[in-house]
Amino acid sequence: MRCMLKRLSLLWLLILAGLAAAPVWAAEGDAAAIVQSFGGKQGYDETETHIKEAAATGDPAVAPALRALRDGNLYWRKSDEAVFIATESGDTLKLADPMTGADAGTAPKDDFTKVRVKNSIRVAVTAALGSLTLRAENAVQRLRAADTLFSEADPEMIEPLDGAIAAETDATVKARMEEARAAAVLESDRPAEEKAAAAKVLEQRGDREALNKLATFASSTKDEAARGAAERAIAAIESNIAFWGQAQNVWYGLSLGSVLLLAAIGLAITFGVMGVINMAHGEMVMLGAYTTFVVQEQIRQSAPFLFEWSLAIAIPLAFLVSAAVGLVLERSLIRFLYGRPLETLLATFGVSLVLQQAVRSIFGPTNRQVGNPDWMSGAFDVGMMSVTWNRLWIIVFALLVFAALLLVLNKTPLGLQMRAVTQNRKMASAMGIRTPWIDAMTFALGSGIAGMAGVALSQIDNVSPNLGQGYIIDSFMVVVFGGVGNLWGTLVGAMTLGILNKLLEPFAGAVLGKIVVLVLIILFIQKRPRGLFAQKGRFVDA
Amino acid sequence: MMTMDQGAAPQTEGGEFVVSPHPYATQLRTERLAREAALGSRRETLLYLNGVNKTFDGFKAINNLSLVLERGEMRAIIGPNGAGKTTMMDIITGKTRPDAGEVYFRGEVDLTKHDEPAIASMGIGRKFQKPTVFESHTVEDNLALSLSGSRSVLTALLHKKSAADAGKIDEILATTRLTDKRKRLASGLSHGQKQWLEIGMLLAQDPELLLVDEPVAGMTDAETEETARLLRDIAQKHSVIVVEHDMHFVRELGVKVTCLHEGSVLSEGSIDHVSRDPRVIEVYLGR
Amino acid sequence: MILARFLGPRVIVLVAVLLAAAVLVPAATLALPASSPFHIPAYLVPLIGKYVCYALLALALDLVWGYVGILSLGHGAFFALGGYAMGMYLMRQIGSRGVYGNPILPDFMVFLNWKELPWYWTGFGEFWFAAIMVVLVPGLLAFVFGFFAFRSRVTGVYLSIITQAMTYALLLAFFRNDMGFGGNNGLTDFKDILGFPIQAETTRAGLFAASCVALALGVLVVGAITRSKLGKLMVAVRDAESRTRFIGWRPEYVKLFAFTVSAVMAGIAGALYVPQVGIINPGEFAPVNSIEIVIWAAVGGRGTLLGPVIGALLVNYGKSVFTGLAPEYWLFVLGGLFVLVTLFLPRGIVGTIDHGWSALRERRRAARAEKGESMGEGGVSSQAAE
Ligand SMILES: Nc1ncnc2c1ncn2[C@@H]1O[C@H](COP(=O)(O)OP(=O)(O)OP(=O)(O)O)[C@@H](O)[C@H]1O
Ligand SMILES: [Mg+2]
Repeated sequence: MRCMLKRLSLLWLLILAGLAAAPVWAAEGDAAAIVQSFGGKQGYDETETHIKEAAATGDPAVAPALRALRDGNLYWRKSDEAVFIATESGDTLKLADPMTGADAGTAPKDDFTKVRVKNSIRVAVTAALGSLTLRAENAVQRLRAADTLFSEADPEMIEPLDGAIAAETDATVKARMEEARAAAVLESDRPAEEKAAAAKVLEQRGDREALNKLATFASSTKDEAARGAAERAIAAIESNIAFWGQAQNVWYGLSLGSVLLLAAIGLAITFGVMGVINMAHGEMVMLGAYTTFVVQEQIRQSAPFLFEWSLAIAIPLAFLVSAAVGLVLERSLIRFLYGRPLETLLATFGVSLVLQQAVRSIFGPTNRQVGNPDWMSGAFDVGMMSVTWNRLWIIVFALLVFAALLLVLNKTPLGLQMRAVTQNRKMASAMGIRTPWIDAMTFALGSGIAGMAGVALSQIDNVSPNLGQGYIIDSFMVVVFGGVGNLWGTLVGAMTLGILNKLLEPFAGAVLGKIVVLVLIILFIQKRPRGLFAQKGRFVDA
Repeated sequence: MMTMDQGAAPQTEGGEFVVSPHPYATQLRTERLAREAALGSRRETLLYLNGVNKTFDGFKAINNLSLVLERGEMRAIIGPNGAGKTTMMDIITGKTRPDAGEVYFRGEVDLTKHDEPAIASMGIGRKFQKPTVFESHTVEDNLALSLSGSRSVLTALLHKKSAADAGKIDEILATTRLTDKRKRLASGLSHGQKQWLEIGMLLAQDPELLLVDEPVAGMTDAETEETARLLRDIAQKHSVIVVEHDMHFVRELGVKVTCLHEGSVLSEGSIDHVSRDPRVIEVYLGR
Repeated sequence: MILARFLGPRVIVLVAVLLAAAVLVPAATLALPASSPFHIPAYLVPLIGKYVCYALLALALDLVWGYVGILSLGHGAFFALGGYAMGMYLMRQIGSRGVYGNPILPDFMVFLNWKELPWYWTGFGEFWFAAIMVVLVPGLLAFVFGFFAFRSRVTGVYLSIITQAMTYALLLAFFRNDMGFGGNNGLTDFKDILGFPIQAETTRAGLFAASCVALALGVLVVGAITRSKLGKLMVAVRDAESRTRFIGWRPEYVKLFAFTVSAVMAGIAGALYVPQVGIINPGEFAPVNSIEIVIWAAVGGRGTLLGPVIGALLVNYGKSVFTGLAPEYWLFVLGGLFVLVTLFLPRGIVGTIDHGWSALRERRRAARAEKGESMGEGGVSSQAAE
């Protein structure tokens, strides 16, 4: 299902891109021919006709040639009347293809003739350039024209832009044109008020390019008033960019938080219900990741067409594998240590060593390659931040797992019994709840979730025997911080720690950020020794 | 509940104190008298609870509870399960902070402002409903750790057992009939012996006030009788609050009884008075 | 002797053995000819010395875990801090004999293009200063950390996790180059200590003797503490913390005392360890190392004086043997050890022997009592515990 969604949105993007590209390709042939028609001896009138023809194609590809013509950089070769854009350097010319701008080598100047220009030609070119692209039928094309003009910021283009803006009906395109005009105004010798207004427009645009334009202007202008306006605009844009920077950090934080949530949530329920810390929890995550690896290997060998579905297949399998290992662990070890949480911690640590070494012996000590299906790769932009698909899906996945677990705990008999055991084990067992069975199920469930977390982690991290180790301490911190009173504590804890880590990183660096977070947690538990959502009731032993 | 000392109050005239012609002076004096009256009513008390409330997650465990214990008094507290008896002890010993109300010791120490060790050092000892002794220590060491004296870590490090300490321990061992078990580990004691050891630890602390929560739960009749005698002995020199369900035991103690119900006092008086109170009968039998 | 009566015969024997080792082992390696059956090869001395340091470390952990019930998963941090303090002194002793020949700056600082010694390196040129720091830094960290943790009544697994996070945070910090502790590579290439060349057999013998003496002192200190009234209080806190509160003790201070003393011991162990192995790096802070200490104490028997010493020596000897034979299986063995000891030998070797011994004595005494006073005891005891 998620796959489908992704497909749909991809399709939609493709259609958009197609719309933008199609007319350009269609017109290319004529445009090139028309540009070539500037070659050969011709009168000014003839040249002007060709300019009009070029403009009539409505193809922005002719713009470089026209611009070269206006600036006196358009040449034709005496031997075959082929047209080039060229720049002089001494006795030679550096040649470029008039359509693509591709380098065409150098040649002696004598072999070429410059296309002649005079003022009326220049005016014609400017008008043509304007109408050429700014008045094109296709909105996408107009948009591109506006963007080109923005980056060129050519004062000559202010008037054509004015005309185009007046005629424009599409609001987006119009806004872009106004930005292009503003950029041009800053470069022109127009009065300060107009420049101030232009600075305002660029401030509205608010991205890095606008910032660059304003910065260049502010550093070069002599006009105090205009500089003031530009500097205000710069400040505004910078704070805007800073805002998006923070938004990006928050996003990274959410992403880290969702990973922590996946890793910690199983830990939290086993700790909540059984009061034991499973030090091998990280290895359950690792087993999930290796399950993904094995699934993908199998698919690669026997059913490559299923690759896109590999994660969907791996998730239930990883759950089962880790849950089975968890169940065996509980039945064969942990149940004998009930009521001795510290010993349980040590014994499960021993198990974690054994599991790590076992995986190392079977799969080797090096990283294993787990591929991202198409729908897990790539990125898109929101405002000024970039969002990668794999992180997005992991957040969605973590929230789904969380919601599912919430349902299990609140709406199923197993969940009811688990909550009963959490609150008062003795009473629950007196009421006929089979607490050993609940323990086993809880442990299997917690481990299974860790396995699913492993599938998610295989998409963003190296799959190695140490995979679990890297997350386990942070997961503990989530549990300590969030408390085990209810699942929301884990959610809030994971997201808070994730975001806090990422917000601190730019100031303190990753390592110091971690240390700061740790110190904050230690200070936090001064106030709330049992975490954000403490287990309540008189049977919580002090 | 408490009779106020009326003798100290000046003449009144139309409900107003007349102290001096100046209204402000009168007001000040009125306020001071009101303060003193409040203090006076608790000054003579050993333990003074007034309007105490405690809510757990919306459940009122203690509801406007007021209770006064005189110096040297022994009081029995009864009440159905969940009446709030243990919670009341938790509040007195600083384990639980009340949401509202006053808790004073010796009429002047606000117990809500102190924590468990501080309150214990002031002279309030407590025996828990579930006997808790130091299982891996001998009976003797259990008592030695409870003996009153400095509670500083460094003194404990450099501590040398004195003859006085040894004498006191012998005495308590004799009182609690544990003399021949003195070298035994506490974990090897029977349930009843643990209860007695815990009472012995209380005695070793030499507190002014003992709070004893269900001392005879799980004891045989003979043991119960013994325990009653022990507590009466203790009450000669200490103030005691005993919580107990066992009516025979309470009757044997022969002291004033307070019946708690749903976190507040339902009835108070002699055992005969309380057990005839229709409301008490209602809460014990009516459900 | 009063001391003997106070500490018990076993401690005296252990201390005597350690002191004898401090004399005999160096003698056996330095004075005896290689042909003698009692000759100890020189390469073994620092190896055994290392074990002795581990034993001191395990003993330190036992003070908090065995006696006060605090399972610290961060004792490796105190050990490493002590080691770094010593390493910094050794680093400064290199002087201009380093690769870059800088008389002031250690090689790694020259390599990082640092111009002067960071302020926190000042003083480490002097042995007495470093020696104070060996004690002070771990002690202070433990004090501050413990103050906050114990005051807020963080106990049980919560505390264990927090201590683990502490050593993890330090691990990350010491990995950084800009911390000024040599980053990833740590401190190494030491030349001499107190003017004696560090590689020389005599120096190594001296360090070995110092380690044995330190361990003997550690045993005496822990023995004295645990046999005092405070020691009894520690056990009381371990078994029923809240009860100690209601008789007026402040368990947080008891814990803080034990934790700080223990951290200082761990720091000293680390300081003796570093010159014998010749390197200290951030790996010592790894959480796994700290948990390994726990298993040493557990194998030997926590809550005993002898246990952690025996446990540390045994497990580390096993580790050396095993990693020599089949390194890939060592983690299986170690992991299995964790599981088996907690399941089947929760008291550890020494604890189990002690327990069996005292149970036997008890049974014999009970049998005697049965014969003597068959009338039975008072009514109180007839009520069986549930
Ligand atoms: N820490 C706590 N959290 C939540 N509820 C509590 C807590 N402590 C006590 N209660 C509740 O307060 C009520 C009063 O409990 P309390 O233990 O004081 O009763 P009690 O009179 O001692 O009963 P019993 O005779 O069974 O010992 C009970 O309903 C109990 O569940
Ligand atoms: Mg009760």
